[in-house]
Amino acid sequence: MPKVHVKNRDGSERELDADSGCALMDALRDGNTGVEGTCGGMMSCGTCHVYVDADWMARLPARSDDEAEMLAAIGEIVEVRSTSRLSCQIPMSEELAGLRLEIGPPT
Amino acid sequence: MGTMNLKMLLESKELERCPFPIPVGWFHVDFSDNLKVGEIRNVELFGQEWVLFRTESGKPGISDPYCPHLGAHMGHGGKVCGEHLRCPFHHWEYDTSGWCKSIPYAKVMPPIVKKQAILRTLPMVEKYGMLWAWYHPQCEPPSFELPYIPEIEDATGYAGTRRGSWTANTCIQEIAENGVDTAHLKFLHGAPGIPPVTATYEGPVMQLDIGQGYIVGTAYGPGLNVMRFNQHGITATMISYSVPVTADKTQMNMSFRHVDYAEGTPELHASKKVIDHMIGAAEGEESAGFESVDFVVWNHKKYRPNPLLCDGDGPVLQFRKWFKQFYPGHENSAKI
Repeated sequence: MPKVHVKNRDGSERELDADSGCALMDALRDGNTGVEGTCGGMMSCGTCHVYVDADWMARLPARSDDEAEMLAAIGEIVEVRSTSRLSCQIPMSEELAGLRLEIGPPT
Repeated sequence: MGTMNLKMLLESKELERCPFPIPVGWFHVDFSDNLKVGEIRNVELFGQEWVLFRTESGKPGISDPYCPHLGAHMGHGGKVCGEHLRCPFHHWEYDTSGWCKSIPYAKVMPPIVKKQAILRTLPMVEKYGMLWAWYHPQCEPPSFELPYIPEIEDATGYAGTRRGSWTANTCIQEIAENGVDTAHLKFLHGAPGIPPVTATYEGPVMQLDIGQGYIVGTAYGPGLNVMRFNQHGITATMISYSVPVTADKTQMNMSFRHVDYAEGTPELHASKKVIDHMIGAAEGEESAGFESVDFVVWNHKKYRPNPLLCDGDGPVLQFRKWFKQFYPGHENSAKI
């Protein structure tokens, strides 16, 4: 099972198991990282926002228009960066073992 | 002995009474007077339930009952709030076009809310003192407008308060087909002969001339038909506005109007007589008497997509070809 490297909101860091075939959001939500994933992957709530390590950005599937729109919407209340992603839109696989990310601020 | 055409003998077992989807068009929902400001109620039309309401500024709306959020039925406990319909469950609010205008507790509106209507509503207009809704199965906007009808729109010049409403246990196409089926006028209705008919078709409009000007009718899609009866030197008008309740049940509504002749004139007498004859019943007994001969057939017949027509029948197939435009996506169905 691939592991991802998570920087928590309090600055602490941890390794987290993330099942291949599941969305990264599932692992972060179930790992009590503060990610809520309220809408379940519909891109309508913005509660699974993460900042991905810049070196990893190119290895992820591109943002869809819907994801970009949700990120723009939460941009009114939290900081959105060029490395911002909705973790529900990142399907986990062995290729993403070692992915480094930071949990976004609460919305 | 030749081979028997068994299909001819056995096909009726496979036939359906009403194999049609709900057609596209403008349809009568109610009379304007029957929907007050702030009112909200449930109506059954087009094969489902809808929430009919009128906003504080007087704008009518008709929406799918089920809130796009968590599915509450907004016609049970929902409210009109200003210009919006408010769901009772979490107070999400929608305008008459189905756009979500308020989610009282969300810090961020879901992006789709800003991009499109998320609640299905039907375009509505108020015309002829009535509420009209545009039904399209794929939610496309109106492709034609309701016409000007002087008999019910002009402030003066016309009179007549007679109206009627009848339920037919069949679909709107089967009812409308009688307009071109002129042979039935003689044999079912007992007319003295089979009148000649000419039908012309242009887009959603069909014009019928039955009996060389005796009845001149114009249909504007499936939901509105204006028929002018020219007899005894006067013209009397039947405005017919049927609405599909379900795929096999139709509410037939009609208003009858004539020129506002002075009391006691032969023209007024003739106008009322022609209207009596349209309905086929005495004043005050419209529901019981109106064309009972047609209902007997409508309520029990099956639709034959491949009818056995003979010379002397009316232009039934041309009518059906015209009507197919109101079933988008079903143009090639063998059942219709």
